Amino acid sequence: MGVGKRRKKRDKNNTEGARRGLREKMTEVLELPKEIVLNVPRLTLIGMSNLIIENYKGIIEYDSSRVRLNTSLGILKITGNGLVIKEITSEDVMVDGDIRSLEFQK
Amino acid sequence: MLLLRLWNFLRGYVIIIVEGYFLEKFINICIRRQIFLWDIKRKSNSTMTLKISIKGFKAIRPIARKTSCRVRIKGKRGLPFLLNRYRKRKAFAVGAFLFVALVYLLTSFVWVIEVSGNERIKKEEILNSLREMGIKPGVLKYGIDTDYLVNGLMLKNSDLAWVGVEVRGTKVKVEVEERILRPEMVPLEIPCDIIAERDGFVTKVIAKAGQEKVKEGDTVTRGQLLISGTVVADNQEKTTGLVHAIGEVYARTWYEDRQPVISTIQEKEFTGKTKKDFTLVLFERKFKLPLRRNRFELYETTTRRENLRIGEYFVFPFGIIIENHSEYRMVTRRLSDEEAREITMTELYEKVLLDIDEDAEIVDVKKDFIEENGVVYARVSIECIEDIGMKREIGGN
Repeated sequence: MGVGKRRKKRDKNNTEGARRGLREKMTEVLELPKEIVLNVPRLTLIGMSNLIIENYKGIIEYDSSRVRLNTSLGILKITGNGLVIKEITSEDVMVDGDIRSLEFQK
Repeated sequence: MLLLRLWNFLRGYVIIIVEGYFLEKFINICIRRQIFLWDIKRKSNSTMTLKISIKGFKAIRPIARKTSCRVRIKGKRGLPFLLNRYRKRKAFAVGAFLFVALVYLLTSFVWVIEVSGNERIKKEEILNSLREMGIKPGVLKYGIDTDYLVNGLMLKNSDLAWVGVEVRGTKVKVEVEERILRPEMVPLEIPCDIIAERDGFVTKVIAKAGQEKVKEGDTVTRGQLLISGTVVADNQEKTTGLVHAIGEVYARTWYEDRQPVISTIQEKEFTGKTKKDFTLVLFERKFKLPLRRNRFELYETTTRRENLRIGEYFVFPFGIIIENHSEYRMVTRRLSDEEAREITMTELYEKVLLDIDEDAEIVDVKKDFIEENGVVYARVSIECIEDIGMKREIGGN
């Protein structure tokens, strides 16, 4: 029983993975912007001090040494010193400051 | 980025301090309601500062209540606030308006008339013609009919081949092109000879009309007949006819002069003292500013005119003439031997050059120094090739 359940779950994972692969291939063939078709965030990091995150979902936590954002892939954690939200709109966030790390938390 | 900042400045924005425990929630709600925020800085656990547009600020009260945050204004920035502050100062507004009005008023007149392209025709002549047609400094620039001016100028002055008139800013630019002069008529019916204008050694004779009397290699003296207008026909009667001789006689000529070498020289020495006179120019009228009258005994004056202007074309009728007088005194200086020779030679050379015709070709220059009776002379000898012919009427003087 337990074995069957596990197999079923694996199957589901497989089909999910296959669909994602197909989409990715489609975007590559058609040269579509990936972040929109796949609905994933796009991060642009300029040097160590300027990070732009497009296609995010919301702010979970913000202070000068840590920013956590909700994205479709999970939580994106940015750590550093003197972090400032330079600009924020419904599509993108611009984080300025001394950025030390980026981490995705599932 | 600069453009964005300028835009924000023009729209005006408020710097606010938000205090509470659900600051992230506050930001999220703002964004969902399309309120733009920027420069968000976390100050402490429970406070942050951010910038928000005026319109956005008016809409955040309900959000603050919902997230139980307190909002305080830290500063107001931008043009709307500045204007608001100055709204009460009536004199300032009136002054600003008057300034704009005055600039507009002053730039609707013609203040400067520029004439270019004229060589023989005097600028004053063209200005006078324009004045007769009603164009002078101080007239309204609107309604100037440039075609009428062009035609008028062409009619008044037959020496003009082309005229262009353009009104730019407070300037009227008149560009003219002069007619090319008709060449001088050769009076062929008056018989004449060509005689030598100066001594020389003939190198080439080109007779176009008349009979050659000298040939290459001859030495001629001043006044000698070179090309004769009396032509003897080569027939048995040997009849003579008179023609207007035309031709060129090229000869080597020498120009020489000497001058004793000077030992002292009078020089200007500026004392470094200067005085300035100012003259105000308002609407073409000059007002000399009263200043100390006592000038120096010997002085040189440089004059500079400055005009109030915006760019090249918007010249205002206010100007200032600055006359700078610098005092000097004459000093007698003893020259060293070498310097004395050089100065004398240069002076002499230039003096000799003055005698030489512009068309003459200089082929050789000799400079040396000779001593005679204990006096040193500088000597210059210039050799030229030039047309030495000069017309003389036959039967006249």
